[in-house]
Amino acid sequence: MKTQKVTVQAPNGLHARPVGEIVRIVKSFAGTTVSLSTGAKTVSAASMLGILSLGLKAGTEVEVSAEGPQEAAAVAALVRIIESADIE
Amino acid sequence: MVTRNGIASVEGLAAGTAFLLRKNKGTGQAVVSLDEAFEAERERLEALSQDGESEAAGIFAAHLEILEDPMLRESIEAHLGDGLSLIEAVEAASKELAAMFEEIEDEYLRARADDVRDICRSLSERLSGSAGDSWQGLPEDAVIVAEELFPSDTTEMDFGKIRAFVMQRGSVTSHVSIIARSKGIPALLGVEIDGIETGDRLLVDGDARILTIRPEEATEEAFREKMNHRDAGDTAEVLLKPDGTPVTVFGNAGSLGDIDAAIAAGADGIGLFRTEFVFMDTDHLPTEEEQFAIYRQAVLRCGGKPLIIRTMDIGGDKILPYWNLPREENPFLGMRGVRLCLTHPDAFRIQVRSILRAGALGPVLMMIPMVAKVEELDQVHAMVLSCSEELSREGIPFREDLPVGIMVETPAAVLMAPELARKAAFFSIGTNDLTQYTMAADRGNPGVAHLYNPMDPAVERALEMTVAAAREAGIPVGVCGEMASTFEGRQRLVSLGVDSVSLSSPKQIKKLKQK
Repeated sequence: MKTQKVTVQAPNGLHARPVGEIVRIVKSFAGTTVSLSTGAKTVSAASMLGILSLGLKAGTEVEVSAEGPQEAAAVAALVRIIESADIE
Repeated sequence: MVTRNGIASVEGLAAGTAFLLRKNKGTGQAVVSLDEAFEAERERLEALSQDGESEAAGIFAAHLEILEDPMLRESIEAHLGDGLSLIEAVEAASKELAAMFEEIEDEYLRARADDVRDICRSLSERLSGSAGDSWQGLPEDAVIVAEELFPSDTTEMDFGKIRAFVMQRGSVTSHVSIIARSKGIPALLGVEIDGIETGDRLLVDGDARILTIRPEEATEEAFREKMNHRDAGDTAEVLLKPDGTPVTVFGNAGSLGDIDAAIAAGADGIGLFRTEFVFMDTDHLPTEEEQFAIYRQAVLRCGGKPLIIRTMDIGGDKILPYWNLPREENPFLGMRGVRLCLTHPDAFRIQVRSILRAGALGPVLMMIPMVAKVEELDQVHAMVLSCSEELSREGIPFREDLPVGIMVETPAAVLMAPELARKAAFFSIGTNDLTQYTMAADRGNPGVAHLYNPMDPAVERALEMTVAAAREAGIPVGVCGEMASTFEGRQRLVSLGVDSVSLSSPKQIKKLKQK
């Protein structure tokens, strides 16, 4: 199990495009379970509806957790997307 | 005759006959299982999301993601387990998931509730057999009137017959706005539709946000006069400078694909090639060879037309994972653009060398963002000179005297424009940031949206000063902000005397480059 905390940077929050990217990447790590948590709520990172339901805004801290053969790579990939997402 | 005001709109004028959507009863073939309904929807969305011509393809790709989302299926199945019928379960899931989104304090995400409702509505239409014939009896000059428009409504829509959209709900970021804008159809949103019947005459003024229901003859005549007048300025839009020569129409590009699209649409070149993607789509600072390979491709894809490469505008809202820059209290007034470049000369040197090398392959110009002081431009010139000397010593081909121009996007640059114009090869006005900084109004803050207006007299004066300074020094001045993407904005820029506009939408480029 690997976890890392990351803060959403995109000024208008995390939108459909980066969320879509997260879901696609998570699906590519077959056998690794990835979840996102804001403390109040934990959802599967393979569910776009779940992630959007977190309502991630700029400044929200998210914990990325992964368990499975590619857990380190999955966490690193998601942290990067969440940190670098912007909507311009 | 009744007139009503809308809250938001997509610009344009139209007169037509009201057509109330979703008043028709369906008679299609019903499917019997959830699997069949999902499969049919999946096929439809896959086809729509792969239509490269359509600007709405991205919306359907997102719908496909939602359809395949485990949470949707789980929610429907949970309701089935409670003893509901198929259609009831789909509707219950729709309500449940949409309610979840509506709790979110973000207009964009709240609009995702519509996506969920739309997908569930399509599913239940498949289950009940009512899909597909809501367009029966569509008049030749239809104004579509509805509570709201779902992306699935638009798949079977005959756009050739549609003059305008009038919606009770919706905002500038909703699907109807995206589709209306991409098709060039006027729309009025946030209008009371109660009392409008199919067959009513409607006048839709998307510029003034006014809807006229059952107009009197004289009113419609005056409106048509106004339409003809506007169309003359719109469809046959040729941008001419005050001296009668055509304004250069460039494209904005943030990727190599954007360059292809702009050039294919007839652009005279690329007026803004953003290089941020070069730095963002990677996990390390790109090397000179990596950057040169991309800029080389960009030059080749321009096919001999000018390519204005903007040096990295990292900072502000753009952050690099591998480059640990200190978090800033106020990033838009902080370390971004040329400020970051000059404080990180090693990284800047790599980019300048790559651009100089690409210059040997075609007409490349270099553009520096966020300039506020003449000294910054002096330092950039010194860096260019030093890189040129290095390349020359190393025997690597590069372009000597590569033109270096600046973005005019800070009020300081406007006030110092006469001095800057003597040292810059060209000006390109970034109207987005210039408006934001001149009005001291955050682009993303709805509370000050009324201040963030490129048509404000203060911004107009800043534009005048910039153009006058460029004229005086005999250098070209262009515009690469969103102001050039609206009809009124373009007209003003042209009357102020700009030499070029640079646009993001290939569709608009095509329109302006038509004879």
